[in-house]
Amino acid sequence: MRSILVLLRKDFTNFLRNKAAVSLTFLIPFVMIWLFGIIFGVNKKDSGPNGIPLAVVNASDNPAAQKLVDALKTEKSFRVITEFVSPDKSRRPLTEADLRPLMQAPDAPFRFALVIPPDLVRTKDFGLHLKIFSNPRNEIETQTVNGILQKTIFTNVPQLLGESLQASAKDYLGSPAFKQFNGTIAGAVADAFGGDKEKIQQRIEAGDFGLGRVIGPAKPADPSLRRLDNNPTPAPAGSAQSTSASAAPAPAASNAAADTLARIVRLETVQVVGANVKSPAATSIVGGWAIQFLLFALSASATSLFRERDAGLFQRLLASPVTRAQILWSKFLYGVCLGIIQLMVLFFAGRVLFGIEIERHVGLLLIVCTFAASACTSFGMLLAAIAPNAEAAQGLATFLIMMMSSLGGAWFPITLMPVFIQQFSKLTLVYWSMEGFSSVLWAGQSFLQILPILGILAGITAVVMSIAIWRFNRGRIFE
Amino acid sequence: MLHLRSVTKRYGSLVALDDVSLDIARGEFFGLLGPNGAGKSTLMSLVAGLRAPDSGTLTLDGAPLTAANAASRTSLGLVPQHIALYPELTAPENLRIFGALYGLRGGDLRARIDAALEAVQLADRRRDAVKTFSGGMQRRLNLVAALLHRPKLLLCDEPTVGVDPQSRLAIFEYLEALNRDGLTIIYSTHYMEEATRLCSRIGIIDHGRLHALGTLDELLAQLPFEEEIRFPATPATAALAADLPVHGELATADAIHRFRPRPDFKLSAFFGAAESHALPGRLFTSQRPTLEALFLHLTGRTLRE
Repeated sequence: MRSILVLLRKDFTNFLRNKAAVSLTFLIPFVMIWLFGIIFGVNKKDSGPNGIPLAVVNASDNPAAQKLVDALKTEKSFRVITEFVSPDKSRRPLTEADLRPLMQAPDAPFRFALVIPPDLVRTKDFGLHLKIFSNPRNEIETQTVNGILQKTIFTNVPQLLGESLQASAKDYLGSPAFKQFNGTIAGAVADAFGGDKEKIQQRIEAGDFGLGRVIGPAKPADPSLRRLDNNPTPAPAGSAQSTSASAAPAPAASNAAADTLARIVRLETVQVVGANVKSPAATSIVGGWAIQFLLFALSASATSLFRERDAGLFQRLLASPVTRAQILWSKFLYGVCLGIIQLMVLFFAGRVLFGIEIERHVGLLLIVCTFAASACTSFGMLLAAIAPNAEAAQGLATFLIMMMSSLGGAWFPITLMPVFIQQFSKLTLVYWSMEGFSSVLWAGQSFLQILPILGILAGITAVVMSIAIWRFNRGRIFE
Repeated sequence: MLHLRSVTKRYGSLVALDDVSLDIARGEFFGLLGPNGAGKSTLMSLVAGLRAPDSGTLTLDGAPLTAANAASRTSLGLVPQHIALYPELTAPENLRIFGALYGLRGGDLRARIDAALEAVQLADRRRDAVKTFSGGMQRRLNLVAALLHRPKLLLCDEPTVGVDPQSRLAIFEYLEALNRDGLTIIYSTHYMEEATRLCSRIGIIDHGRLHALGTLDELLAQLPFEEEIRFPATPATAALAADLPVHGELATADAIHRFRPRPDFKLSAFFGAAESHALPGRLFTSQRPTLEALFLHLTGRTLRE
């Protein structure tokens, strides 16, 4: 027993002396839990997505349509865009014709749009007509947006359905019979419940059947229900446009009413980007996972600098006609080559396993992989430059890779995070690498269109490598 | 060939080399003898261009030796203290890398690799990864990796650390043959036996200072005695030890008295004194002066400290 205690004490002493091990065990999980808590708004009453850009085109002159726009503006999940800003900074209301070019642009200001058409209230049959334009490059994000959008529609403009009912009845019966029909109903209501028959008839003709009281005013939705909403999914592969009669249920209190309403709302879904992508889900996620594993591989490779130093190999190399800069650049090029190969192999595996179409984009994909691998390699080099030893570098790498992957959108869409966290996303190479992959594989953009993304990845590489080389020259890795 | 003038190197407040001046002639087998931390590796790294001195100059055949002067390093070969090899690769693959860094290519490189592996008796293991080699085999490969480009000056930084006697002997014989063929060698060690056997000239270094420099005979001549008598430090010998300092130098370490008599003090007088204290003759051993004794004389501490 004494021996076991001695050995136990030895293990704890060793553990406590190893700062990297202590950090990996306690500090890093603590920071990650804290970070995820912020990302998902844990303990906040009104959590959920925030500020997702949503374009709204209102082509209807129905006053309720404007009420719907106003309701969307108050929904914190959305940042509603209703104006088109031309290059000369002049502004005008957005039109449906503006949506496609804007959503297909490399720097698309929004990926979701709601069009309220002139025929919002259907007259030939009972119901509403709305159009949703989307670039559904992430399924979770798309479902979330559709769910919140439909909930807002159903809970804010229920009288539109009454209007539709009146309009279709008028169309079917003709004006004199329609007036008589409404008068008969108003009289029956007044006889049964009291009240002024004329006023009751005016309310009926305005479509006010009291649905607003059944459904109730818009309330902040339960975020868990938002995510679980059963929404119309993006248009099926090969089809850019579809119509759905099923829609998301509203919050629990009004589920039954909302389900009924959902069946009479005609939602026309228009997929603006990626309609021809055969394997949309895999195409949208494989880039994020690939870049994450590449970061792990390259960090491990960069820490080989420590092993070479400890083995005295740098002494031998530097005693030959080789300079420090040559050693570092050879490491960099090795990382880039390894990264390109790994990424291409993973995308090829995605092709074989999930049918991701890479054949049509091999050239551009190779270019994006090169820039992404360069950025990832520079990250690995920086780790080796700032860490005192291989263990510390590994610990730091695990922490930073998890941070960058979560913030950069490799695990879940960044639009589900608080707005201030989304600002940090754009500082990560994971975000820009995924943007590059998505631009090529999902949006099918050209070289010129992805040039800004390549420029940002090249910039990240240049800045991070400069810091790494500066640190290498000041550090003791070569001594 | 190699000249160091007033070379000083500091690491923070630690003075690793303190105003060292040294000349190495072509064809010399020069030994740098000192304990761990004496400054041997620092001196080697300065000559190899791995570090720059804080002051002083180093020249090889008239050309300055600096980290920036990559060309001058083609004349040097460094055998690092560590086994600086890629363990996953085979011996020829390792040698190919190091040879190529010196510009060797094709058939010439292959021929040199074959010759090197033959020379250190590793030709029959050429297909095996280096990590499967014994420590001695790795040390031998570590040595020839520094010789492929046929340097003019070979720097051996404690190349036999952890080596079995058989491999150590093989390394000695190989280095002696290279030196006979004209290669200049600087060999750092804390084993006086190695310096005694291999080196034509020896520098004794400690705390960054070069305390003595010369051939073995020249160095030993600096000792103020010709013989050293050793006997155990026990209560029985305490009275004898108390009488001795007036006749010479008495040092005690590791429960052993070391008495170095002045030249005018006869050994017969010493043994007469021992007999008077009823101490038997078997307690005493007599030794010729060694580099160990010289180091102790010069620095006041042993090579193993």
